[in-house]
Amino acid sequence: MANRFASEELTISNRGNLDPTVIYSVDPADFRYMTVNVPCQSACPALTNIPAYIRALYELKFGVSYEINRAVNLLPGTLGRICSRPCELKCRHGETELGAAVNICHVKRAAADLRRPGHAYLTPRFAPAGKSVCVVGSGPAGLAASHDLAIMGFDVTVYESCDEPGGMLRYGIPEFRLPRNILTEEIQNILRLGVSIKTGLQVGVDVTFEYLLSHFDAVLVAAGCYQPMKLGTPGEGLDGVRSGLEFVMDIASGKKISVGKRVLVIGAGFTAFDCSRLALRLGAEDVSICIRGFEEDLRVTSDEVFEAKREGIKIRSLALTKRILGTESAEGIEFLRTRPVERPQGGRRTVEAIPNSEFTIDADTVIVAIGQTPEAINSPGAKSQNGVLIGDRENFQSSSPKLYVTGDYLTGPTTVIESIGNGRKAAERIAEDLAGRKFKEWVIRIQETRITDRDRSWDFIPRLEMPSVLPVKDRFVGEGTVEVETGYNKEQAHQESKRCYLCYLHYEIDVKKCIYCRYCIDNAPRDCIKLVKQINLDEIGAVKELVETTTWSEVNAVVIDNSRCIRCGECVRVCPVDCISVSKVELVERPSTVENEV
Amino acid sequence: MSVQRFVIIGNGPAANHAADTLRQQFSESRITIFSKDPFRSYRPHLLPDFISGLVKEQEIYFRPYDYYKERDITLRLGQAVVGVDFSRNRLFLEHREVVPFDGLIIATGAKPRIPEKFQLFADMMLTLKTPIDAKMWIQKLLDVESVVIVGGDLTSLSLTKALVKLGKRTRFILTEEAFWPSVLTNEIYKTATDRLERLGIEIVHCRRIRRIARLGENSLEIETDREVIETGALGAFFGLVPDVGFLTKTGLDIDRGILVDEFLKTRFEGVYAAGDCAQVYHPVLRDYWVSIGYENAAFLGRTAALNLAGSHLQVTLKAESILEVGGVKVNTSWWTEF
Repeated sequence: MANRFASEELTISNRGNLDPTVIYSVDPADFRYMTVNVPCQSACPALTNIPAYIRALYELKFGVSYEINRAVNLLPGTLGRICSRPCELKCRHGETELGAAVNICHVKRAAADLRRPGHAYLTPRFAPAGKSVCVVGSGPAGLAASHDLAIMGFDVTVYESCDEPGGMLRYGIPEFRLPRNILTEEIQNILRLGVSIKTGLQVGVDVTFEYLLSHFDAVLVAAGCYQPMKLGTPGEGLDGVRSGLEFVMDIASGKKISVGKRVLVIGAGFTAFDCSRLALRLGAEDVSICIRGFEEDLRVTSDEVFEAKREGIKIRSLALTKRILGTESAEGIEFLRTRPVERPQGGRRTVEAIPNSEFTIDADTVIVAIGQTPEAINSPGAKSQNGVLIGDRENFQSSSPKLYVTGDYLTGPTTVIESIGNGRKAAERIAEDLAGRKFKEWVIRIQETRITDRDRSWDFIPRLEMPSVLPVKDRFVGEGTVEVETGYNKEQAHQESKRCYLCYLHYEIDVKKCIYCRYCIDNAPRDCIKLVKQINLDEIGAVKELVETTTWSEVNAVVIDNSRCIRCGECVRVCPVDCISVSKVELVERPSTVENEV
Repeated sequence: MSVQRFVIIGNGPAANHAADTLRQQFSESRITIFSKDPFRSYRPHLLPDFISGLVKEQEIYFRPYDYYKERDITLRLGQAVVGVDFSRNRLFLEHREVVPFDGLIIATGAKPRIPEKFQLFADMMLTLKTPIDAKMWIQKLLDVESVVIVGGDLTSLSLTKALVKLGKRTRFILTEEAFWPSVLTNEIYKTATDRLERLGIEIVHCRRIRRIARLGENSLEIETDREVIETGALGAFFGLVPDVGFLTKTGLDIDRGILVDEFLKTRFEGVYAAGDCAQVYHPVLRDYWVSIGYENAAFLGRTAALNLAGSHLQVTLKAESILEVGGVKVNTSWWTEF
């Protein structure tokens, strides 16, 4: 890539001409290149190869698109509905003057929805390892770890305290957002790898850690965060005040519960939104989400805010709960108005209460959804002062031999995709510790390719938002479990897939062939091709800075800045000497080629 | 010292009065107004009369181009600002020009609000905020004989009068969801509907609109909780929202509008906001308020400009002149005069 040019090594292009086979690189500079230039994949905690699966969908290979996802994030149908979408925040199409991010998540869901039934799964399996691992918890982290351990040849047994597997996926996400048949199928796909599961058993209560540690070669705690956080304000113990997590879990478990007509939900995350939308489905008439900060800082997607408002939910911002009012049951909340405070450069915006700014909003039900923490556990190993088992965030080990920790239990509350990423990493670590060798490795796969066949007009296709059940009243029929988002049809998915720039394509000018005509610059859609006098590299040899010049005599090269390039291919089309090459650069996981080395 | 570059985003009363005031304070500085609209500043309250034919198009615009020329104020119309980098004091325009500034006043005003639940039907609704909207009404009224208005703000009432004058069958839906510069009490409902009926307007009594469907190019069906009615056109007046969408994620404090202190200053040095797009905290009200109406906007525009020039003028208003509108507190000087 560009660093090769800078260090006068062979460029990919001319190497490719001699030998068109694929090159695999483990050069740290190439990994750095991926971070900068393929921002979506780098932003994904599971490192999903997003350009590849969007491209597969564009080619109408829905099963392939699904498999590219499943290979690393394991639950594409589920994530396609509920992922927090860190990738979309980084999507190059979302840069200020380029329009809006690709609806990456919806394309993922389309691959899951539209694939042919019974498509082939492409999972390489390792030989049996002859060792066993127990996983405590079957939420996203536990499932991901179980999947990978089973793939790597270990006998895996999962202990789950609830009646059904899935953890927060099943009990913390309402059915109108994630239909249970989708989740069940994807969980089943993991369990059928030979993972055995024991449900309804709480480790530390129904079965001891000592028992597990003596019967398994390793035990992994992936018990999630199930301890609701409290406001710590007066009135929290009144009737009609509920914890958001318990509220969602009770409904998911099929318990019959009711809410008052006026509901105030305190919290700024997905659970707060789930609670408010569930409250509407239980018959509440006036539901508000109360946040102490700004609406634009909410930790949910803008689609979610829009849909909640469309259902009639109000968002009351800049309101900090002072106390919950009422004598026996909740009658309202007294808030303090807040204002933003100075924040450090690049830091997160915070607010403070304005003195003497109390105001009151009436309510019959108050739902507190301000987060949750891991629960105390009856295990060996060093604990926090709250009795939570402590693990190392790098190697997942607790202070007790054979006992590992991962997922939200280790990190505190995160997203499903982060939990999956962490579960997989923990599995890899356990496998390496038990087997004494590496199983898998991440490499950069580089392949000579042709220029994009994308049409420039596709860059101006507007982002297609997720179709949903309308009119809104149709969402509330029956028990309110109708899936609200209906998914793209084939044409819609295909259209949205066209919007992806395919940032895994790498454009490079061969300085030995370039005649400095600057046609490419004249035809570039933005400042993506630069007249450069010097390229500064960082400590690992990756491009750190392109030093531009406007003085012709100082120009040493015409360089494509792949961090600005939108892969339109215009430069290749206009180049009179054919000096611009295109390669496909992908971060992929493969069985380790290094034997017996950890 | 190089010439200071002042930029004003917006072209309403706040923006224009800010520009005038800046010119009075700085005879040498560069002053540029950017407006996404391709037309000059106008008097929105004349739009209903323009629709009914009572005033001519030229009369709705209030400043000739020469006005700007004489004061050396650059007026750049039809050029939308799509982003601002406050760390480097640069504006990004839709056509990809990058404009540096030393001082900035944001006075983008407000745009018609369509509640989320009605956005599905937005393409069947006509609003009235700009001369372009007015021309769409004029065009539509050539083809239809009946109009339903959902609303309750001053513009919708004025438009309703204009429609009656044009001989159109006019029906009015006044719902809780519609904009009204006050909570819709039974008393206000009765007063307003009596007044409308005296003007020859039919009132459609209902609690909410359930569905809107297009039957043909000039025929719509509206289903309320009580009945299904047919109409040629539908006007939607759910109030206004600050037009600040392009500023989200820029680091400004945006609640409904841009939060400014009592000196109209934003979080960033040399950046002020004034008029319908700004929100100020009011200690008596214990909430943030937005100022609407021509006189308020002009006053705030002048104040922002003077403060940008180094003054320290505070804006304060009596709490009783502030009313709750669609969840936002607004200061309005004209509502009570209607």
